[in-house]
Amino acid sequence: MPPLLEARSLTKHYGRTVALDGVSFEVGEGVTGLLGPNGAGKSTAMKLFLGLIQPTAGAALILGEAPYDSPEGRNRIGYMPENDCLPRDMTATEFLMLMAQLSGLPPSQARTRAADTLRHVGLDEERYRPMHEYSTGMKQRVKLAQAIVHDPVLVLLDEPTAGLDPDGRQEMLRLIDRTARNFGISVMLSTHLMGDVERIADSVIVLESGVLAQEGAVASLTQETETLIIEVAEGVDAFAAILAERGVEANSDGNLLVIEHAKEEDYDTVRDAAVDAGARLRRLAPARRTLTDIFRGGPA
Amino acid sequence: MRQPGAEVFDLGYQRYTGPREGRNRARWALFWNGVRTLLGIGRGGKSKILPVLLFISAITPAVVFVVILAFIGDLAAAVEEGSFVPGPADYYGVVALVLILFGAIMAPELLGPDRRDNVLPLYLVRPLTTLDYLVVRLLAFAVIALALVYSGQAVLFAGQAFTSDEPLQYLRDNWADIPRILLVGVVIALFISVATLAVSAYVVRRAVAAAVIIGAYIVMGGVVDGLTFAENCTNFEANFGESPWLEEQECDYLIGDFAPYVGLLQPAGVTDNINALVFDLDPQSPGSLAVSELPDLTPVAAYLVWVLVPAAALWNRYRRIRL
Repeated sequence: MPPLLEARSLTKHYGRTVALDGVSFEVGEGVTGLLGPNGAGKSTAMKLFLGLIQPTAGAALILGEAPYDSPEGRNRIGYMPENDCLPRDMTATEFLMLMAQLSGLPPSQARTRAADTLRHVGLDEERYRPMHEYSTGMKQRVKLAQAIVHDPVLVLLDEPTAGLDPDGRQEMLRLIDRTARNFGISVMLSTHLMGDVERIADSVIVLESGVLAQEGAVASLTQETETLIIEVAEGVDAFAAILAERGVEANSDGNLLVIEHAKEEDYDTVRDAAVDAGARLRRLAPARRTLTDIFRGGPA
Repeated sequence: MRQPGAEVFDLGYQRYTGPREGRNRARWALFWNGVRTLLGIGRGGKSKILPVLLFISAITPAVVFVVILAFIGDLAAAVEEGSFVPGPADYYGVVALVLILFGAIMAPELLGPDRRDNVLPLYLVRPLTTLDYLVVRLLAFAVIALALVYSGQAVLFAGQAFTSDEPLQYLRDNWADIPRILLVGVVIALFISVATLAVSAYVVRRAVAAAVIIGAYIVMGGVVDGLTFAENCTNFEANFGESPWLEEQECDYLIGDFAPYVGLLQPAGVTDNINALVFDLDPQSPGSLAVSELPDLTPVAAYLVWVLVPAAALWNRYRRIRL
């Protein structure tokens, strides 16, 4: 079975500007984050996979088919754009029915799917109101609902948390997580917010200046490092002094002690020193790399 | 009444296992969406006012014609006397103006919101191409335009039949008008649809698009009539009685021999000339009179140009839209 998405030496030029330069990767089931700063080529990659634009060279394939050349194949994907895209005067129900039928569903099934999908995104009560009356959060939910109303195998989300307040962002991330875990619809999430990817993605593809910078499972990219983080409630100075006497160099930062290049036996030393110093341990854990570290070439 | 033991279960998200009907379902859905938009179905009460007014405007001339016919009484005698006896061709002359208003007001309403609200990319990531979108939108518009012109013609035809002494005999004598009515209706509806949608493709704001369409119709019509006005024309005085399509013209135009060709640039004349050709009538304006000096098929060729050029402009606009 072909991968859900596949980029084969994917290249896109806009005049002399190279948006994507021979990028190759595959996307499987689950949640995949497409990360990169502005201008990295994320939106271009999305549009190529959606069949909105044609590659200059290479291929963008969805389930083994090129969406630009075979429109029929597009009825198994969904798309949620970053910007406003909802017709002001339509109700959410009418809009979702239309979008379901545009993906090939007969009217009676489209009506049922529209009602069900709006309920799943938490818009049951407001579904008959014109959409220009909706809040930003409600509009984001309709945008997600129209992307999944036809039950695609894969949905492409472009900056789905853009413009949302912290609560709205958490809610949207929960909804995306449910879409993948409970609804069984794979997700490709384009964002420049690494926190979003770390929170819900299984794997990540990092683009930078039109080329592939990193790819892999989020868990392996953010694996544990050799840096040991110790947080104590009190007695941090005495604790650090005892550690230094026993040959373990620790840098203090408030209530935190950081030991670089910690070895296996250092854990026992830390435990004994904490007892001897009367320091109350709150946390003792190896540091993990964050996606921010990966971007900035941080500690491995 | 509550049924004992009845309970509502939330089954959670269910995968869709029903039929997927492909592109034709998508085209059909977009077509109905266009029809609903144009008629204001599923929108607030305000959205229905304009379509209703336009349908009333299209039917009113037909009703007036029927009233005139009822007063004339003996139609055959009136025709022989040379009195004005309104018929389907006259109705098309009047309703073309209503259709221009319909196009000016409703064409921006059909295309504008899809671009203004950025809905177009959502349509085009479905199994629809840009060409599908344009053809389906055009068809939706043309169907409503046809409904407008045919509704008036239906009223007029029925009125003519029932105001005559013998309705069945009237139908037998005038059945040949039916294909003419249908043909000219398609000609007018297609031209208005393509031309007004092309303007709307370039001008997003509804009021501006409407002003451009109505302005172009009136200004170009006036300029062409002015340029093709004949100072001396043997048939000019009698051109509404005689048939200048059949007789040799001797006209002195302000712009000389170019006049017949300039006459082809008149938007109102595009359909007037075809109407005159199909119903075998005299031209109704100086521009059309000048065009009548050209070979019979010239208005047909001009019509095709008037339809194909806006169609190409429409396609060109959407082909270049950055999604």
